[in-house]
Amino acid sequence: MRKEAVISKGLRHVHLVQAALLLGFFLLLLLPVLTGYSDYILQVFTHALLLATLALAWNILGASGAISLGHAAFFGVGAYGSALLSHDLGFSPWFTIPLGGFLATTVALIVGFLCLRLRGAYFALATLAFVEIPKVITDNWDGLTRGSLGLVGLPGLPTLRLGSYSLDISGSPVGSYYFVLCYALVLVSVVTLIFRSNLGLALQAIREEEIAAQAVGIQVQRYRILSLLVSGFFTGIGGALYAHLIRYVEPGLVYGLHFSAVPMIFAICGGRFTILGPALAALILYPLDQFIFHPLAPAGHEFLYGAIIILTILFMPAGFWGHLRKGQLVSIKTGSIE
Amino acid sequence: MWTTVLVSGITLGSFYTLIAMGFALIFGVTHTFNLAHGELLVLAGYVAYWLWKTLGLSFVYTFPAAILAALFVCLALQRLFSMLSEPLELNSIVVSFGVAILLQNGMLFFFSGDYRLIRIPALSQGLHLQPFYLSYAQLTLLVLSLLVIAILYLLMRHTYLGKALRATIQDREAAALAGINVGAMGILAFAIGAVLIGLAGPLYGCIHYLYPTAGLQATLLAITITIFAGIGRIQGLILGGWILGLAESFAVVLLGASWREMVSAVMLLLLLAINPQGILGKEER
Repeated sequence: MRKEAVISKGLRHVHLVQAALLLGFFLLLLLPVLTGYSDYILQVFTHALLLATLALAWNILGASGAISLGHAAFFGVGAYGSALLSHDLGFSPWFTIPLGGFLATTVALIVGFLCLRLRGAYFALATLAFVEIPKVITDNWDGLTRGSLGLVGLPGLPTLRLGSYSLDISGSPVGSYYFVLCYALVLVSVVTLIFRSNLGLALQAIREEEIAAQAVGIQVQRYRILSLLVSGFFTGIGGALYAHLIRYVEPGLVYGLHFSAVPMIFAICGGRFTILGPALAALILYPLDQFIFHPLAPAGHEFLYGAIIILTILFMPAGFWGHLRKGQLVSIKTGSIE
Repeated sequence: MWTTVLVSGITLGSFYTLIAMGFALIFGVTHTFNLAHGELLVLAGYVAYWLWKTLGLSFVYTFPAAILAALFVCLALQRLFSMLSEPLELNSIVVSFGVAILLQNGMLFFFSGDYRLIRIPALSQGLHLQPFYLSYAQLTLLVLSLLVIAILYLLMRHTYLGKALRATIQDREAAALAGINVGAMGILAFAIGAVLIGLAGPLYGCIHYLYPTAGLQATLLAITITIFAGIGRIQGLILGGWILGLAESFAVVLLGASWREMVSAVMLLLLLAINPQGILGKEER
């Protein structure tokens, strides 16, 4: 009797959460209409969605228990790779964006080679130091990258046409918004597939107890490097998209702390071991930052992120989404990370 | 020319040792990484800059204020770290990364993003000692750094407090069994670390431009030197500081000033690649 009550309460809770998610999804879908096509609001949410994809990508590695403080390395390499290939060689962005992703994967391979024997704190320190290397190289290789001045006037994403409808992706805020929304949905599906696959299960085992995982025959290093490569790939894609959306790259910007710290903070705050947590945190916290804290303190409004990560680690280490979903039947039944 | 590079490398290296000492002491005693170390240094520099520039205070008198500012933040950080759960090393990294973001944005808010330098005319001259040139700024930096290092060395070696600190660094449980209050030692380590930062910060403001995100470089070099030295050895810190200072000086001459930022990052990655267990690995095995 009591047990049933607990379950039905749990189920009601599940329904409530699902309803809220569905509502949020429709709000995102109708956002341009609901906000009267306000450029500013759409730009904020476009960037929030981009950060959500970065947090999702970060979390592919995060699911193994590793914390990276240097994902801006992949972001920057993806951005610069795609920017240079399309600007200098004249390739279409559709072609160079995946190439940017593969370049970032190559860099992830180097990081893996250097750092994968490291654990916990030392892995985090190594990734923090690693960002400096592509940043300084980009800064100094004037002949190729134009140095610290950056690269202006990158080709935008072309207009999509379907019959009489056309969607200008880089030119209009609405186009950019829907494009990034689509990419975010694709990435959510990819992450869901990954987390429910053998890779996801292996990562779960590795973060819970690495030695035990090894003992049952999981090839720990292989899965750790795989998660690093996939995570680096999607972070690179994110960087490449960013470059073509704002049509401008600069070392201080794309290798900056913003793109290392903020996705990491969203992922941890949302819940490192959940699928949707990182994206939800990005969609809630970035608009909060832009609409409330930015007007209050135009210089220094990002203190919010510092405060959030401190409070999360101290009081809710599983993240808010992880906390909400803790101890549900779902996770036992499917054996998945959620 | 090479002797000048050598001298500037040793000078810089001695100063780096001073910067790293606080970090190493805090890590040795409490096993926490303080990623806000560089931001604290820059904050101390800003406090000195502000007093010197707007209140016209003599540069020498800015040190106490810088120490007080560092002490305030460091003790708050110690409180924060004492609330952490395991794994302590990793959690301290993430939390102090958050503190670093807080401090960066606080400094951006109060001091703006402009580049600031404490320019003291007397320090810009120098001595033409054959075969090298030594500016008064370098001389001050070298003498003060070595003086502070020497004082800390004596404190650690020849006082009861130093002995207790060293015992805690070597083995916390044994130290606690011997009646040493390990928690108090942690607070003490943060306090000494803050004093070191407060001494180094204003000097940092004389040789480097201050801007809110300048701290990362200092944090990286403190980590590099600490991991090079292992824990509990001031001699190792001096050697690590000098190697890093020399490597940076030579990199500036051979490759150009803009490559300097990469030196400590590359050194840290190499150190970690060689010894992936980190500093504490040997003890834990």
